[in-house]
Amino acid sequence: MKHEAQREDVMVDKELLVKIDEKIQAIKKAALELRELSNGIQAVERNADRILASTKMLEINISDVLEILEISP
Amino acid sequence: MIEGAEEYWNPILETMPQERLRALQLKKFRRILQWAYEHSKFHRQLYTKAGLEPGDIKTFEDIARVPKVEKAMMRDIQRKDPYPYGDALCVPLERVTEFHQTSGTTGQPVYQPDTWQDWEWWSEAWSYILYAQGFRDTDRVFIPFGYNIFVAYWAGHYAAEKIGCEVVPGGVLDTKARILKMQELKATAMMATPTYVLAMADTARRELGLEPARDLCIRKILCAGEPGASIPSTKKRMEEAWGARVYDHAGATEIGAWGYECIAQPGGIHVNEALFLVEIEDLLTGELITEPGRQGKLIITAFDREAQPCIRFDSKDIAEWAAEPCPCGRTFRWLQGGVVGRADDITKVKGVLLAPSAIEEVVRSFPELSDEFEVVITRKGDMDDITLKVELIPEAVERREEVEARLVDQLRLKTNLRYNIEFHDYDTLPRYTLKAGRFKDLRKSHK
Repeated sequence: MKHEAQREDVMVDKELLVKIDEKIQAIKKAALELRELSNGIQAVERNADRILASTKMLEINISDVLEILEISP
Repeated sequence: MIEGAEEYWNPILETMPQERLRALQLKKFRRILQWAYEHSKFHRQLYTKAGLEPGDIKTFEDIARVPKVEKAMMRDIQRKDPYPYGDALCVPLERVTEFHQTSGTTGQPVYQPDTWQDWEWWSEAWSYILYAQGFRDTDRVFIPFGYNIFVAYWAGHYAAEKIGCEVVPGGVLDTKARILKMQELKATAMMATPTYVLAMADTARRELGLEPARDLCIRKILCAGEPGASIPSTKKRMEEAWGARVYDHAGATEIGAWGYECIAQPGGIHVNEALFLVEIEDLLTGELITEPGRQGKLIITAFDREAQPCIRFDSKDIAEWAAEPCPCGRTFRWLQGGVVGRADDITKVKGVLLAPSAIEEVVRSFPELSDEFEVVITRKGDMDDITLKVELIPEAVERREEVEARLVDQLRLKTNLRYNIEFHDYDTLPRYTLKAGRFKDLRKSHK
């Protein structure tokens, strides 16, 4: 029974996931821009790299899933 | 709050219907295959030789066409340029931030490079594990382990931090000092090999006069490195000694942390199917096994590891799919009994296939025996001979004959073999602090 209920949860929360993904992509864009702007300042470039690595984890958890949710189970 | 947010690290992925998980896995498999093909000479040559291009993988079934990677292949290409990783490296050396290596138990160690993104991914995979086992920001986690060149517990440390736990690195302390520090700090959780979990309990009782279950606050133990936490009798010993729930996990340096037991303790481990693809292959025919109840060898892909990808890696681990869904609500499939052995550990004795874990399960089910034992296989002429060395606890010395008779019966029942039983005085067999070396096959040296 629990499994059936959770199928519904995934459907219901798609809108929320889209919003989260938008923020993830905004962070990624900002971190990439920071990297470009760093102009060799290691303290900026390396910390931007760390933000990008963490952003990738957000993508794995949320962004990668979005197109899959279009598929009917 | 989204339903399940308190139970699961990621309720979206961990409760996703299997059909969707398969679609996600196909998408991610194609992506990592394309990445490796474009960035690694080793992978490109492997696939070209097999007449395969990434675009050929269109369906889930096509994945089986991708050649497997054996540990020996990695050994062959390493210690060459780009030094020391060789042609499987997919990123410039400047992007590698972590070095670890395998233990080399089965041969020359394999070197494992990781980028910072890979390292984030390691702790992400471990976060799924720890969260499923009830680790929370209220926990003070003690790690009684000498951090070193092996990946063990490094990622567990960072994942515990990510979850919000307070982490106490118990590196260079000796066993007594670790126990006392855990007691002083009222640590609530720890991570260790099953061998060391039992050894610490023994030391606490005999050298410090402490009963871990009564005198310490450890209530969760994550085990790694050995199969003990999935062997019911060993798990029971650990749980009783510490008054704690003991959880198993599965992983490897070349692969990542791919499996975990959840708080429901169903008698096996979930595969993290969002980050990994686990295929089970028949040991003899190589046919993929999708139905429950048939043991085979695990072929594992890590979807998101960029520096040295792990694509259809022959793990040599033996397991079988469970038949029923787990009561925890995760839709990730799980392996009944966890990893029950390794293809290179299973050996033929007197013509019978023997897995060391089967002997452990029997020995540890006898409360009259201590935690330690040793198995020695020799050959006399054309005959294999198998000796099991055990220790009676002091309270059971008078019952030696009765214990021996029951032990022989149980071993014959569970392993179809007859053993010479050697009783040793209590506390005379070797004690181990990490992985134990209890299984000694001396037949080759007798030839």
